[in-house]
Amino acid sequence: MKEYADSDGSYGHVSTQFADFEGIVLESGVFLGPLRVAYETYGTLSPGKDNAVLILHALSGDAHAAGLDADGRAGWWDAMIGPGKGIDTDKYFVISSNCLGGCKGTTGPPSICEATGKPYGRSFPLITIGDMVNVQAMLVKELGIEKLHNVIGGSMGGMQALEWAVRHPDMVRSAVVIAATGRLSPQGIAFNWVGRNAIYCDPASACNDSSPGYDYQRVGKGLAVARMIGHITYLSEETMEAKFGRKLRLKDMNGYSYSLGENGKEDGEFEVESYLQHQGSSFMRRFDEDSYIMITKAIDYFDLAGPDGDLTPVFRNIEAKMLVLSFSSDWLYPTSMSLAIVRALQAEKKHVSFVELDLPYGHDSFLVNAGIPMLTRIIRGFLEGV
Amino acid sequence: MSNGAPQTRTPFHQFEVGFNIIIDLITPGTRVLDLGCGSGTLLQRLRDEKDVEGCGVELDQAKVIRCIERGVRVMALDLDQGLEGFPDLSYEYVVLSRTLQQLVNPERLVKEMLRVASKSIIAFPNFGHWRILLDYVVTGRTPTSDAYPDPWYNSPDIHRITISDFRDFVKKIGAKIEREIFITEDISGPSIFWPNRRAEWGCFQISGS
Repeated sequence: MKEYADSDGSYGHVSTQFADFEGIVLESGVFLGPLRVAYETYGTLSPGKDNAVLILHALSGDAHAAGLDADGRAGWWDAMIGPGKGIDTDKYFVISSNCLGGCKGTTGPPSICEATGKPYGRSFPLITIGDMVNVQAMLVKELGIEKLHNVIGGSMGGMQALEWAVRHPDMVRSAVVIAATGRLSPQGIAFNWVGRNAIYCDPASACNDSSPGYDYQRVGKGLAVARMIGHITYLSEETMEAKFGRKLRLKDMNGYSYSLGENGKEDGEFEVESYLQHQGSSFMRRFDEDSYIMITKAIDYFDLAGPDGDLTPVFRNIEAKMLVLSFSSDWLYPTSMSLAIVRALQAEKKHVSFVELDLPYGHDSFLVNAGIPMLTRIIRGFLEGV
Repeated sequence: MSNGAPQTRTPFHQFEVGFNIIIDLITPGTRVLDLGCGSGTLLQRLRDEKDVEGCGVELDQAKVIRCIERGVRVMALDLDQGLEGFPDLSYEYVVLSRTLQQLVNPERLVKEMLRVASKSIIAFPNFGHWRILLDYVVTGRTPTSDAYPDPWYNSPDIHRITISDFRDFVKKIGAKIEREIFITEDISGPSIFWPNRRAEWGCFQISGS
């Protein structure tokens, strides 16, 4: 039983599908092709094709947003998407795709480059959040949908939701922008830079069998360190206190224990340390370091306002009804950044609602089960009111 | 729209009637900003009954969520921070109902209201009512009433405003009173005798001059 959702209905088993395209001209002018997009859908498209909702994942997400995959793994927003849930699959046709540059089926650094026959790796062309949105738009059109009922996403997904409303005003009826910003802050750029540096610190020796097709060895743990840094920024001080406190991992121990493990490295005595350790190493298994580099760079370059720093003219053509959500405990993309979006929309007299939710879980609040009932009411209400 | 206020026999502080008076003041098809909109009841009625395009401002999270659930556009903002971001004259009406007495700086907000809308409708409980004043004099203690229900030490109503106070205030900020509606226990109307002593509520429509 799931205690967090109004309904504990799962969408059931789903499988990821693929759409293939000739390619796309990126914002940089570079042509990238062929192009493959991994996506899942839940629910049924109405005869009028007017009930489609596009889910936009964050940095480390994938197309598997809801239901159970072949291994029985629930989607990353399964608490929100499903029959009777906040995004009700009995009402809406829900589309979720892996972003461009990702490593979960959509063309990205791990994909084989046709010209070389090897994975792109770090030679993958520079991409933008706008490119990701353009690829999503190709998928949506491919599915025969001219206008989306809603686009919704948090963090990087929220940036995409904004881009959608700006770039494809005629294709979006409404947008929900969660814990996002119109331009990444220098603080955000700094954290991403440290994360990428951790990856760049990995030894770059000649290729061996452990990384087929790559020109460099992928044996370091830089990606794990990057993930640990990222994870700290997604949580709040309050959450860390509540979740870990100063608890030690080995409960029967009193006082200090500083045991050195392999290569003179400590294992981590505190629970918060072992939590981060676990996050880091599981991320190593499920994510590609070059995707991490490309996607964080796209996030770094995200700046809708441009050099003037003024979002207002950018929002002039928006037609969608907008809902901007922030979290009081989010210090990575704080409420002030959501308010900057809201003020600019207001200046253009756009239909915008704004809610700062008082949730203690930091930037990741939209993914934390305890926050789901509140989010469910808001998102369900907004989707119905459009 | 009729020229007078509706004749009603229910006190203003009961939601429906206060709302009826405000709804009657508002021209159909206009844009209305409701400050301290609560769970969006007034805006929903304005939308349904007068085809109004509304937006609410409310700080209480539970009420904000209620607004969104009923399809009312809402902004979770603190009125004491002003109305930054709302463009000049972007609404025909701005409503401040039962909230004036709770603001830290009413002057700042009312001036902001005059900036964002051509007409401001402000309703507040009248602390000059004779029974309240009598209570003050007789007991020597801050009175409570239906409109000011909480004791001084635990009340969101941090100002005790009278109708005369408000008229002076409107003059002081250089605005103009366009409509006055006074609500006594069971009657409302534009011209009751000695409103400052007899009205339980005042409802004013003001505009910048």
